[in-house]
Amino acid sequence: MKVVGQGLPRVEILEKVTGQSVFGADVRLPGPILFGKILGSPHAHARIRSIDTSKAERLPGVKAVVTAQDLPPVRFGRFVRDEEYFARTKVRLVGDRIAAVAALDEETAEEALRLIKVDYEVLPQVTDALEAMRQGAPLIHEEYDQYHAISMMEGRKGNICYHKETVQGDIARGFQEADRIFEHRFYAPMVHQTYIEPHAVLARVDAAGKVTVWVPTQAQFFIRQSVAEIFQLPLIKVRVIPTEIGGGFGGKMLPTVEPAAVALARKSGMAVQIVMSRAEDFQVANPRHPCHMRYKTGVKLDGTIVAREVEVALGTGAYCGIGAVTSQRAEMLAAGPYRIPNVKIDVYCVYTNHANCGPYRAPAGPQLAFASESQIDIIARELDLDPVEIRLKNAIQEGDQTPACGGPLESVHAKETLLKAAEAAGWGAKPREKNRGRGIALGYWLVGGYASSAGVKLNEDGTVTVMTGVVDLSGTVTSLGQIVAEVLGIELDDVHVRTADSDFAPHSTISAGSQALRSMGTATKMAAEEVKKQIMELAADKLEAETSDLVVEGKRIYVRGSIEKGLSLGQVAQLSLMHERGPIVSIQSSSHFPNQPAFSAHVTDVEVDPETGGVKILRYVAAQDVGTAINPLSVTGQIQGSVMQGLGQALSEACVFANGKMRNPTFLDYKIFSSLDAPRVEVHLVEQAAGDGPFGAKGIGEPSIIPVPAAVANAVRDAVGVTIFDLPLSAERVRMAMREKITQR
Amino acid sequence: MAEMKKRLRVTINGERYEKEVSPATSLLDFLRTDLNLTGTKEGCGEGECGACSVILDGRLVDSCLILAVEADGQEIQTIEGVGRHGRLHPLQKAFAEKGAAQCGYCTPGMIMAAKYLLDHNPSPTPEQALEAIAGNLCRCTGYGSIVDAILSAAKER
Ligand code: FES
Ligand code: FES
Repeated sequence: MKVVGQGLPRVEILEKVTGQSVFGADVRLPGPILFGKILGSPHAHARIRSIDTSKAERLPGVKAVVTAQDLPPVRFGRFVRDEEYFARTKVRLVGDRIAAVAALDEETAEEALRLIKVDYEVLPQVTDALEAMRQGAPLIHEEYDQYHAISMMEGRKGNICYHKETVQGDIARGFQEADRIFEHRFYAPMVHQTYIEPHAVLARVDAAGKVTVWVPTQAQFFIRQSVAEIFQLPLIKVRVIPTEIGGGFGGKMLPTVEPAAVALARKSGMAVQIVMSRAEDFQVANPRHPCHMRYKTGVKLDGTIVAREVEVALGTGAYCGIGAVTSQRAEMLAAGPYRIPNVKIDVYCVYTNHANCGPYRAPAGPQLAFASESQIDIIARELDLDPVEIRLKNAIQEGDQTPACGGPLESVHAKETLLKAAEAAGWGAKPREKNRGRGIALGYWLVGGYASSAGVKLNEDGTVTVMTGVVDLSGTVTSLGQIVAEVLGIELDDVHVRTADSDFAPHSTISAGSQALRSMGTATKMAAEEVKKQIMELAADKLEAETSDLVVEGKRIYVRGSIEKGLSLGQVAQLSLMHERGPIVSIQSSSHFPNQPAFSAHVTDVEVDPETGGVKILRYVAAQDVGTAINPLSVTGQIQGSVMQGLGQALSEACVFANGKMRNPTFLDYKIFSSLDAPRVEVHLVEQAAGDGPFGAKGIGEPSIIPVPAAVANAVRDAVGVTIFDLPLSAERVRMAMREKITQR
Repeated sequence: MAEMKKRLRVTINGERYEKEVSPATSLLDFLRTDLNLTGTKEGCGEGECGACSVILDGRLVDSCLILAVEADGQEIQTIEGVGRHGRLHPLQKAFAEKGAAQCGYCTPGMIMAAKYLLDHNPSPTPEQALEAIAGNLCRCTGYGSIVDAILSAAKER
């Protein structure tokens, strides 16, 4: 392969390094743009007695004030229709939207927010999933039974938004057969995606009532659908133009600021821009589900796992959001990438008075792996087994099924990935210095795929344009270009590929779930192949040759063996315009993608400061099963970034709340890794072309975050002999655990 | 009521600007909103992320923390002025080649911080490069590729 497999710079890179890229807050239009602001509830749970916006409306410079009264009475939600865009009768989280204003300048907009008077009757709140499940807990949605929900929403009861039990084998028998049984509880708090670009949007409504929304989103077609639904408009009346996106990590898929901007633009007749402050973004923008986990595992003395029972309670926040997907993910991942004959998994997705939690890179993945892989490590220690050995012994193999995975799994490389990591890190030769330790963890993700279509057209000069609506997060668009170039025997420079907007792009999948490249790459490759076929047919006609004798290569098509007997792609394109067939173009679709596992095994060396409990990452090795790396530069970069995000979750990140209000909504207090904390992440790719996926590529973005907190926790245990059951492994927690251990002796 | 506007004279990327600004406007808002120089980004507005880094009279600053009027009479370099007349600065080339910009949102600020480093220290060590971007958060790259880009640009120059 010539173009696939090259670490080429991203197609849009020069705009990025020169500051020309247009991100969410960078959109400018002719004429004035109003500043929009959203009024959020100060209470986590309260009934709204009245809202008075009259003073705000009279403030000079204010052009529009909107509340629920300005929207059709629509409840939305992908799985259960439990959310109204502006609260009508009740607020369920701090920051629940009450109203929005648009004004000529920012100060006036802020002043107008202060002038809106809301009379609340404060209700008792519940912010933890386990408490919310108890009898007598305050009900967050009193009318939950009456909401419309899709059929997968099982087990709805009280604050339990979804509950499902997944069983494999006979769990009671499994535990009977076990020589030892281990049971532990773990907790992972809410963490935030913290893309550096906050949510932003610009909306305009034209004279014909058509709504245009510029937004940095991972899911332009989903945003279009949501806006159309909330405003009860046909889809052709809503145009979503995805801007460059300053990081998403799952956090920029659900509607947040878009409907407010649209409502304000409709009412004022002017363009309205809303940019969230960092604090607002932290408070309301769909973070990772906090997660309580109970793991009970039965093993034989040789380390064979015979039974595993897992209970998971996810706090989904005030609205379901994608809680149902996170729950399903939890069902798939909870038992770990292991062959276990007897499994029982209970996942509860529970309403709380917090922000509705959203997708964040591998929803449920790092939390569950933290618990599962910590426990595997504890078991290995107790049974005096090597942590790598016990994982190898139980790891799933080709054709195995894990609970809820949907069928026998193909392209299973758990063992290879583990061995790669162990070998790269020099596993056998452990560093035995005081307070230093080494940990390993294995994770996996099941990559599916969603309906996708893409187009490829041959331009009049032989260059090629790709028509796609997939948003570029991690170099996907560049990879699509590489795929097309590979199929057509041209260079990436001969291909134009950028994200088109919702009016012009064929339906494209979301950029999430690690499946964008698999889904879009498949459709794009099909379109490129069809274009190639059209090129060949036309050339065969002109060259009076069989298509089977033709070679497409180096921007030319020629008869095999006689390179001079051929046409340039430009000539073919020109001829096609005169030919009865017409222009060469193809749009192709694909939609069926069975779950495909992608593994990631990490080894880290840490040093724990015995005084402070501070954990320093000395070395980090990440091996990942990537199938074919279409662009190794993107793949490696994505894995490195993902590990860093995971290290934040492992060591320093947690959203801290008091009465539902986040106490640390700043970068100063919510600590993501800076360059000074960052280890150099050594990436090792396990490259074995997958059975399906374009050129055998697998999903990349998510597997790499899953084992991180577990690997660190296991290294800390190895270093100082303590187990931390709650994330993050903050210095304080580690120090306390070390103290307790000393006093227990 | 809107406060009295102040007259501001600054040189940005070699161009002279004279504008009326409100005394409360930050340098960042002045660049982005008054002048439409949107290359400089806002990530927090509180001096904690470095997305808004510019070079002001030879100092690296968070433009969100500085009032526009404080920059009166001074010279400002922003990302738009780093590669001039269609020519890329070695840092821009290196960032592109090393994969040091993924989403690219931190990139303008990173490049300003890196440029400030190279302006003062033409051949930094990896540690010095890490130190130089300590005030600039990146959520995508893990920083390794950024350090590589800085070191490779230093060699280029
Ligand atoms: S926007 Fe200025 S430091 Fe974050
Ligand atoms: S490249 Fe996305 S924040 Fe740095």
